Amino acid sequence: MGLRDFFTRDSLSKEELVAERLCERFEDLNMLSLADMPLRQRVDVCGEIRRMSVKPRAGIPAVEVEISDGTGELTLVFYGRGHVPGIGHHRALTVSGVAFREGSRRVMLNPAYRLLPREGQ
Amino acid sequence: MAPKNIDRRTALARWKGRLIGNPISSRADVHHRLPKKVALPVFASDAISSTAYATEEILIVFLSLAGAGVAAYTRLVPISLLVVVLLAIVVSSYRQTIYAYPNGGGSYVVSKENLGKHPSLIAGGSLLVDYVLTVAVSVSGGVAAIVSAFNGLAPYRVHLCIFFVVVMTYANLRGLKESGTLFAPPTYLYVGALGLLITVGLYRVYFQDLPPIPHNGEARELLDATGALTTFYFLKAFASGAVALTGVEAVSNGVPAFKPPESRNASRTLIMMAVILGGAFFGLSVLAQHLEPVKDEEGIIRDTVLAQMAEHVYGGRNALFFITQFATFGILILAANTAYADFPRLTSIISKDNFLPRQFANRGDRLVFSNGIILLAVAAIGLIVAFGGLVNALIPLYAVGVFTGFTLSQAGMCVHHTRHREKGWKFHFVINAIGAATTFFVAGIVIVVKFTDGAWIPVVVIPSLIFVFTGINRHYSRVKNFLQVAEQEVPPFRTHFVIVLVGSLNAGVVQAIKYAQSLRPDRLMALSVVASSEDGAELNRKWRASFPDVELDTPVDEYRNLTDMVLMEIERLDGLQPDDLITVVIPEFVTSIRSQWLHNQSALAIKARLLFRPNTVVTSVPIVIP
Repeated sequence: MGLRDFFTRDSLSKEELVAERLCERFEDLNMLSLADMPLRQRVDVCGEIRRMSVKPRAGIPAVEVEISDGTGELTLVFYGRGHVPGIGHHRALTVSGVAFREGSRRVMLNPAYRLLPREGQ
Repeated sequence: MAPKNIDRRTALARWKGRLIGNPISSRADVHHRLPKKVALPVFASDAISSTAYATEEILIVFLSLAGAGVAAYTRLVPISLLVVVLLAIVVSSYRQTIYAYPNGGGSYVVSKENLGKHPSLIAGGSLLVDYVLTVAVSVSGGVAAIVSAFNGLAPYRVHLCIFFVVVMTYANLRGLKESGTLFAPPTYLYVGALGLLITVGLYRVYFQDLPPIPHNGEARELLDATGALTTFYFLKAFASGAVALTGVEAVSNGVPAFKPPESRNASRTLIMMAVILGGAFFGLSVLAQHLEPVKDEEGIIRDTVLAQMAEHVYGGRNALFFITQFATFGILILAANTAYADFPRLTSIISKDNFLPRQFANRGDRLVFSNGIILLAVAAIGLIVAFGGLVNALIPLYAVGVFTGFTLSQAGMCVHHTRHREKGWKFHFVINAIGAATTFFVAGIVIVVKFTDGAWIPVVVIPSLIFVFTGINRHYSRVKNFLQVAEQEVPPFRTHFVIVLVGSLNAGVVQAIKYAQSLRPDRLMALSVVASSEDGAELNRKWRASFPDVELDTPVDEYRNLTDMVLMEIERLDGLQPDDLITVVIPEFVTSIRSQWLHNQSALAIKARLLFRPNTVVTSVPIVIP
């Protein structure tokens, strides 16, 4: 790397760094990427949990989880439970279900999921 | 006696109170009317004080710049006559202003009313520059008088200047009334000392054949030079001598301060001032022609022309000599002090017209425009340091602003006459027209012949000041237009979204959630950026136990950047609804000022960033830990 590269190379933002890492992590699974995921069809996708929220909907608790595989995001909603075993930050999983659009995000309700091993396991 | 209340002031406020005195009520702001004999020293000290250096400046041009040698003294009196004629023209012009503007008509006011926005800004800018220079020049001149009396102080010239500026600033921050008791003695003492010097000097020259001052060394060399006196140097000397006119406009600014009939008294005071100023200046020039004092450009000859003549006339450094020096110092400091009264007043007027930051219109605890005073002091000290506290280095900068102000004021008066057409307006118009033309001509001469000596500085500074003025004005009018209350306006937001920032579950958060619930938002959520899955799992578990019905959003961030993450989250949540108002509630620990720094200041950083976000309210719920 020359001095010139050093100055012209753009520094990456944190989001870009995260996206890069996630892409690498899910590359080997050869699954449908979230960017290409069609709506209203049964699909199998994967991603890492980037966000969790527990929100009561009409008194019934629901766990909302946002997963990302570096190309896009998908929100999973697990109704009727305040806690889903195994679901936590940084866990990777494959899910299968039907996604639909809700406002600006894509949502999958009560999908079937399979936890992937933790990194380093 | 009033019962003693608990002192709730901070330590800083208490120190300030001790330093500058107790605050003064706005009700105390009454103007005292001045009789003529008090008004003369108050308003004329600035103008009369310029006699202390005007003659000297002419001599410096002839001796040091032109190298004219003894021939210089033959031209001193003609130039003085020219300056006196100029003084007569300017004074008769200003008499018109006094009658036309009994409420006080400074150049800025007159040109604003008659000539419009830009001329008034030029006048305002030149006046501001002028006042700064008044302080710098007068203090340097005063210190020069001290240095002439005590030659050993010469190396500390700049230090002394700064010291006096600081003292004056302090006195003015405390609030210094333009009282006759303070102004009258030094002014009358100076006038008396000058009168005595001129009378005794001329008497000894004509009746006792007092020879010229004997010179040697540097001074002798200057006298032996035989350079040609070209028109250029003649004009340059004239431009230097014209600084004698600085401060003439003070009377017309302060007409309301006179006892009734205001205009009549002000006009008489103006004439009196002009007679003293003209007489003293002319007398000193005649005396200098006979005594041949010498002064160089760089201040190698330490004694001022006035000091040299006083020493020679009184036959040595006796009591009369020292009285003359101290009187000179006194009046020059007073002259600087008039700028301390006028500069803040002008900045307050300009800032009320929205051309300067609003802060200049605020009065401090002591009913003075503190910000203006401080700005003036800083600018004056800057100039003094930059020019080494030498009067003659500052003079070329001075005259430009003075004469620009004169010109605009007189031109404004011409327009005033043509508009109002009072009795005899044609005659008055002619007087003001002559005044405007003459002062414009002089301003031109000063700029041309002294451009390289420093006159270029105001030529650059004044227009840039106008850019600053108009820029500030544009901002204020934009803000004003934006804030206009329109008829039947609909509020720009419909839903209320409250986000509580959560670090960990603690008493502060409980309080904040309760507060947030009391706002009755359309949607309430807690937001916590978690670093690891363990943290996230634990927080989720605790949260479900404490607040089963409050939504908790936990994005994960492995880059430990809380502020950016929170901001991004708020951005994202804001995007969900098009027209909502977001309230961000931040629980914040407040301890004493001594230990606050021990806490992570992330709340402060987030607040600072959110301040510039539209439709976002930031609320901190303080948990005071005593």
